[in-house]
Amino acid sequence: MGRVNALDTHEFVIPISYGSTDVIETGKWGFQKPHTTFMTAPCQEACPAGVNIPQFLYLTQEKMYDEALFTILRENPLPGVCGRVCFHPCEASCNRAQYDESVSIHAMERFVSDVTSNQIQDIQLISNRDSKKVAVVGAGPAGLSCAYFLSLLGYQATIFEAKKEPGGVMRWGIPEYRLPKSILRKEIQRILSLPIEIRTGVRVGKDIPLDALNQFNAIFLSPGSEINAPLSIKGEHLEQVWKGGEFLERINSKEKIILGKETIVIGGGNTAMDVARSALRLGSKVTIAYRRTRNEMPAIQDEIVEAEEEGGRFEFLVQPVKINLTKKRRIAVTFQRMKLGSPDQTNRPKAIPVRGSFITLEADSLISAVGELVDLSWIPKKLIKDDLIETGSAPKIFAGGDAVAQPRTIVTAIASGKKAAISIDLSLRGGNDDENLSMISVGGKGSLSMEAYLQGRDNGRWPEKKGVVSYQQINTLYFEPTRRVRMRMRQRNKVLKGFSEVNLGYNAKEANFSASRCFSCGTCNYCYNCYFFCPEGVISLNPVDRTRVVDYLHCKGCGTCAKACPRSVVVMKEVG
Amino acid sequence: MTGNHAVAQAVRLCRTPLIAAYPITPQTAIYEKLSEWEASGVLKGIMMRTESEHSAMASCIAASLTGVRTFTATSSQGIALMHEMLHFAAGCRAPIVMANVNRLLAAPWGFWADQLDSLSQRDTGWIQFYCENGQEALDTVIQAYKIAEQVYLPALIALEAFFVSHFMEPVDIPEQEQVDRFLPPLDLPHKFDIDKPGFLVPVVSSELYRKYKHMAQVSMDSVKEIAVQVDQEFKKEFGRGYGIIESVMLEDAEVVIVTAGSITSTARLAIKDLRKQGNKIGLLKLRLFRPFPGETVQVALKGKKKIAVIDRNISLGSGGIFCQELRAALVHSPDRPLTYSYIAGVGGTDVTPEVIQKIAMGAMGRIDPFDQPIWVME
Repeated sequence: MGRVNALDTHEFVIPISYGSTDVIETGKWGFQKPHTTFMTAPCQEACPAGVNIPQFLYLTQEKMYDEALFTILRENPLPGVCGRVCFHPCEASCNRAQYDESVSIHAMERFVSDVTSNQIQDIQLISNRDSKKVAVVGAGPAGLSCAYFLSLLGYQATIFEAKKEPGGVMRWGIPEYRLPKSILRKEIQRILSLPIEIRTGVRVGKDIPLDALNQFNAIFLSPGSEINAPLSIKGEHLEQVWKGGEFLERINSKEKIILGKETIVIGGGNTAMDVARSALRLGSKVTIAYRRTRNEMPAIQDEIVEAEEEGGRFEFLVQPVKINLTKKRRIAVTFQRMKLGSPDQTNRPKAIPVRGSFITLEADSLISAVGELVDLSWIPKKLIKDDLIETGSAPKIFAGGDAVAQPRTIVTAIASGKKAAISIDLSLRGGNDDENLSMISVGGKGSLSMEAYLQGRDNGRWPEKKGVVSYQQINTLYFEPTRRVRMRMRQRNKVLKGFSEVNLGYNAKEANFSASRCFSCGTCNYCYNCYFFCPEGVISLNPVDRTRVVDYLHCKGCGTCAKACPRSVVVMKEVG
Repeated sequence: MTGNHAVAQAVRLCRTPLIAAYPITPQTAIYEKLSEWEASGVLKGIMMRTESEHSAMASCIAASLTGVRTFTATSSQGIALMHEMLHFAAGCRAPIVMANVNRLLAAPWGFWADQLDSLSQRDTGWIQFYCENGQEALDTVIQAYKIAEQVYLPALIALEAFFVSHFMEPVDIPEQEQVDRFLPPLDLPHKFDIDKPGFLVPVVSSELYRKYKHMAQVSMDSVKEIAVQVDQEFKKEFGRGYGIIESVMLEDAEVVIVTAGSITSTARLAIKDLRKQGNKIGLLKLRLFRPFPGETVQVALKGKKKIAVIDRNISLGSGGIFCQELRAALVHSPDRPLTYSYIAGVGGTDVTPEVIQKIAMGAMGRIDPFDQPIWVME
């Protein structure tokens, strides 16, 4: 290299500035800035309890299990129960269902509860405790929920429970193989570790009159549906004929029951499935007779599938008309053949008899599970409307659970307990329901957020109303199609040998993967897309402190971060 | 093997860790081959599929300044879109190597061979080589890295659409060990230092701008010698050399044909026939275009009477671009020859041995200077 090379005579090849350009406030050039705006996920909107699902899934993925549990407990005191027996409308609304398959939210709730349930969590109570007292009648999901939230709000709740143990349908209705009693006890224990008094074995309206509760500042009524709807046919009172609720209660009391070789179950709801699967476990062959078809069955889909897989046989479009005793002391059940007609008020097709068409099935036992009613004999007439409690005329009295007009499910009962607790708080503090409840609604399907209520309750600083994230608002380019993990189940040949839990839950690896499938609609999960795509390097994220900071003095407002956000959290807003 | 695949082989052999490109006919085969190798693991580097050629070059610049070898391939509208970034690459002294498959520039639209796309980038500060065939394209990519990485300037190697990019010819692929021996790892003195964060392309004063331009010119000028030296080292290692220009039968030539690119190989045939017929025609091949090897050309053409430059390009309002450069290089030569500008092969039209013979005999018959370009239309 004989000739002069640039590097031979010059120290630098190109000019490099080591000064800072911070003094140039390029942020002033922009007319819009990115803002972190959390939105409501459709799952959260669909959850009657309004649980912040994306948040608890994010925390689970980060293995922050205690925090994930707290996130659920802020809105629902029974995650271990709901993680097993909830009808999980969240999954049907999951945006991911439109992409590949919905996120396994139901199983994840169970995982969070199981992975943490060996310890009783300290629940954050609000500091200003109130001396006011509230009576809660019934320790089912609605009553326990109401007492729990009242306690969080600082009230002294006293629960009156007719049975010797709390839990209601969770204790006496749902069989062990779906909801182990040990799980239920842990969750109830957690609730009762709050300053809540419980008086079991006290049936209000019998052991003490309802009037005796007038000493309380407010009363919450949540009687369960304890009365089995009658079949109203001949032979109903034969000893071979069982009522579904009573049958399950005796199973759950560990009583010995002999059904015989063959059992007919009447009904298509969750009670019918519980009855059928319990009967299978008692060694009987089971035929489930339902007056409509499989499509109209009100039971949870999984329950129907599992009942069938365990050997339950279905007889559709039949309605029992009489039960006769045979010579061998068996029963012969005569069924009217049915067909589907035009839709009724509930939008299901009516079952109409097919004239002259009957079948007869023989069996050793029959269990009817055609619906349950609430015993309202002890409730003053002025509080009853359409066989339900209507408290409009009594300012001190509130109601929830099966006794009010809403679907009879665990999670809706929990939601009604929460709503009542808020209404009681508002009423005792002279507030107004309609005004305040709209401030804390989660989306537009009626769910309420206790977290939002606690935020705005004392100072009126209600959280900003959030929109619900639609599938179109998700940037699916950042995701890859994956399948749900099927939960492991107890081996088929072992499940019918007893009442051990059938579904075995996720292990940590399955849970982590399932949590990672969450689109995290409207919730920042620190994916760092905005950070990486920001051409100016003005975004800082800190998952530990949960902070997202934009240096607005140097953010030019290009909007790249908003475009790169897969979950509609970063939105551009015009300045000024 | 096609010229495109020969280029891809060279990039693989040079262990280029960062390739950023955007597909465009007739270059796409390079892009595809490298992508295929990236997927199969043959290529250890990263193939960045950018959204445009402008971004491809911007990516190469940024990556190059972290001190790694980079490559891109483009053509025609692609290099036109890249234009702004080509200046940045040279100004940042980034030793990027680019293969440009010469394709005509629209409008009208077409895909055919024409050198105007890369010649239009003459003043961007890039080293430019024009290759005759696939083998030369492969070898020149390897040489280009060695040159660029000594002077910290980017280098472009041009090969014509279809005539080189798609023609299948036997190509000798060097052994990896040979290339490793020949091409040392890149050591860029001005690479980013994460311990001393700085920022590039700051605003500079007029004087500083002039200083850096001058420095680049000094470096660019040194390429003429470095390229010769690298070519000699290459010949020693691989047994092939090209020179920065090549003289064929010039000693007694009465007319010298000057070519660049694939027309050279046709011209080699044509002059053999012309010689058989008793016509003393010689050939000068231009390989290095930027920097233009003026002194070398002067020496090679010393005492020649007539030159016929064949250009597969046209600078509208002037003439063939190689001819312009050659005329400028010879302007101070004593007894400078008559230099004619022939325009042949524009738009990918075929330049056959007959066309070249026609040009040679046409120049032989001329006795007066003629400035205007002479279009050869069969």
